[in-house]
Amino acid sequence: MHIPDGFIPIVQCLIYYVILIVALYFSVKWAKSNLDEKHIPLLAVLAAGIFAIMSMNMPIPFGTSGHMVGGALVAIVFLAPEAAVLVFTVVLLIQALIFGDGGITALGANVLNMAIIGGFVGLYTFKGLNGTIGKYPAAGVAAWLATVIAALACAIEMGIAGTFPMNIGIPSMVLYHFFIGIIEAVLTVIVLVALDKFRPDLLAWNEGDA
Amino acid sequence: MDKNMALIAVAVIICVVICVLSPYIASGDPDGLEKSAEDSGLAEDFSVEEINGIPDAPFPDYAFADNPDNQPLQIVALIIGVILTLVIGYGVAYVVKK
Repeated sequence: MHIPDGFIPIVQCLIYYVILIVALYFSVKWAKSNLDEKHIPLLAVLAAGIFAIMSMNMPIPFGTSGHMVGGALVAIVFLAPEAAVLVFTVVLLIQALIFGDGGITALGANVLNMAIIGGFVGLYTFKGLNGTIGKYPAAGVAAWLATVIAALACAIEMGIAGTFPMNIGIPSMVLYHFFIGIIEAVLTVIVLVALDKFRPDLLAWNEGDA
Repeated sequence: MDKNMALIAVAVIICVVICVLSPYIASGDPDGLEKSAEDSGLAEDFSVEEINGIPDAPFPDYAFADNPDNQPLQIVALIIGVILTLVIGYGVAYVVKK
């Protein structure tokens, strides 16, 4: 769901950039008081892993494809959407500048959808369901919902931008990301299971138990 | 091996495997946003507003600009991206933590 240059008028891009700057302010503040030494390589490998997995488009129905995004994953690993904002600002900036994937002008909107909306929806869905259905099912549902809601937000932004109308964009984006979200859910759970097995100390949900 | 070095090593190996496979097995079908744009009848080079002055990406679409269909070169471009993301991600995490 990388929005390219040209899909959002510049004036609206600036509004999304303001949102990005505010989000970065809170994320840096969060990082200063919450990150410790072991989290530096974790943040770096999550960024690299998300960069790599985004190249792996998998086929879904309707002649469409999709890849994992990872906003919910990062937010759940750190129990903080702020971490997703930091990771995605790095990944999306590199993708836009070096690889022409996602617009430089659309960076603010892309961080908003994938990291802020994806991270918040992912984390709070996870927190809401964790007690009832267990942490892995909760993480799976959270990742799926984060993908669908981020896609919905993207469709609304496209409508506001005048790129494509919401009556076509919303059903299309939600339908395709209903399936892409399943990829997101499966991979999010696999990464969380692997981290919990090999490096449980890196998962914020284990903090306090040790 | 130090636990954090092991984490980075395992992550880099997984990323390289993905980078090697991706040019061959990733689907070339349009993604959800591109397909939604198609559903609305947008042309492929659609632009809601002319935007000038954006520099060309050195590796457009994760490939070498002068040889875009060369899959081994796509692997190289992806691995460059992984290393760049890892290094910059590490640097950003280091700086914001201070």
